[in-house]
Amino acid sequence: MIELEGAPLFTLEFGDILVYFTPYTASLFLLALLFTAIVVLSRPERQVEILFGTDACYAKDTSIEELRFRRFMSIACGLATMGAMVSGDVFDYTLFTALVGVTNVGIVAAVKSRHVQNAAFQYGIVALAGTLPLFGGAAIVVASTGTLSILRLAGGTAPGAPLLAKALLTLGVMGEGMAPFYAAKAEMFRAPGAPYVIMCSLSSLLIFLRVIEVVLVI
Amino acid sequence: MLAELLLAVVYGLLLLGIHRKVIARIQKRPGPPIWQEVLHILKFSFKTTWVPATASGVLFVGVVIIAIAIWTAALLVVIAGGSLMILFGIYMLHKIVEHGFGLSSGSPYGKFGGVRSVISAASEIPLFVSVSVIALFTGTLMIDEIVAFEGANGPLLLLAPPAAIAMYLVILSKMPFGPFSIVESKELVSGYKTEHFGIWRAGLEVCNGLKTFVLLNAFVLVFIGALPLWLLLLLMLAILVSLSFVCALTPMLSPFDSVTVQMIITGLMLVYAIVVWVMI
Repeated sequence: MIELEGAPLFTLEFGDILVYFTPYTASLFLLALLFTAIVVLSRPERQVEILFGTDACYAKDTSIEELRFRRFMSIACGLATMGAMVSGDVFDYTLFTALVGVTNVGIVAAVKSRHVQNAAFQYGIVALAGTLPLFGGAAIVVASTGTLSILRLAGGTAPGAPLLAKALLTLGVMGEGMAPFYAAKAEMFRAPGAPYVIMCSLSSLLIFLRVIEVVLVI
Repeated sequence: MLAELLLAVVYGLLLLGIHRKVIARIQKRPGPPIWQEVLHILKFSFKTTWVPATASGVLFVGVVIIAIAIWTAALLVVIAGGSLMILFGIYMLHKIVEHGFGLSSGSPYGKFGGVRSVISAASEIPLFVSVSVIALFTGTLMIDEIVAFEGANGPLLLLAPPAAIAMYLVILSKMPFGPFSIVESKELVSGYKTEHFGIWRAGLEVCNGLKTFVLLNAFVLVFIGALPLWLLLLLMLAILVSLSFVCALTPMLSPFDSVTVQMIITGLMLVYAIVVWVMI
């Protein structure tokens, strides 16, 4: 771990359940915190649409009910992302990652556009399917090593996690938020409400960056 | 640190100016002066600035500050010899920044720039492969330890040339006027940065200067090793000129072709990483 991302700056242990910060995870956590603060503070933009074949344009408004629900889901997504960044054990990491997938669907599901809802529905199915390899990976880690603690697995005091578990964890995270399913989310980004929509891509990216660290060190 | 930051911004902007000049000369145009990007910053800093009525204000302004902050942090990581993982993370987070720039204004041009930024996420994967191969060869991702490894074993450019090519392509995908610059192509006016003007555009230009400096500096450090400052700057210039040739002689790809080419490169790099992993 020290060779890959620097020494841990802070560790809070409750047996196998723990929280730790390294320079890498602290950077990711701070970004999740920053964007969550932006979600709390900002109002959505009004997307300008051009009427095809004319010079006319109009601005879309986001209704208060839609705004409240999407803001709530975005804040939940930000909190889940922060949880995934600080989790020092594989199970909590997978739990928060699955929550990120659910909240991502919630962020766009409130948009009253057939195209956006279709994309959200399809993504929801992929995210649900992604939970199986995700939790399966965590289960294989604990079954084969006897611990869920990333620090113990990284420190060499427990046997290394099998390659299959690492592959399943990565596949699960890809299902929850990242490429190749990511392209399908481009439709979702056509929905108005930039601060909320950006939480989708940010959370997906951050859980992907974190799983790279996890599979490299365990 | 302030002196290094100033050097990085000014030299990065000069490199972008030279990039435009080289492209113009290859295409038999006179081109702008090489300090044009510095002049842009000065000009934008003193122009009238406002936030569009349709924009999400906090996000519109916030992404400019975040853009400068993450690349300043990246510079700090490179100078301090920190982890390549952090640099990799910052590089990927730049995608979110482009996304934020594009979506926050409400402009359709910015929005499509932002959406293109999302669909071209495949361009980031070769960097991950490059980072993985470096870890396999050196056993570390701390830049100072990689430099020490190169001092003892020779430059990684010779030990793992495909990894260097992967990172070169990653830098190419971030260069303006390149084959993969679909996020700011002319049919979208200026793409994701269309609506950011005045002091916001000046901030974005500072970020671009920093980004160019950090990426080229990291490339030289990681694949060639520690060098005297003058030689480092000279090598960064040489790499940039080679990138300018590629940009000048290659048409901008369509979004579909751009993503397809990036996916093919990613596939090839993954095969290389697996071969290295099996052999080591």
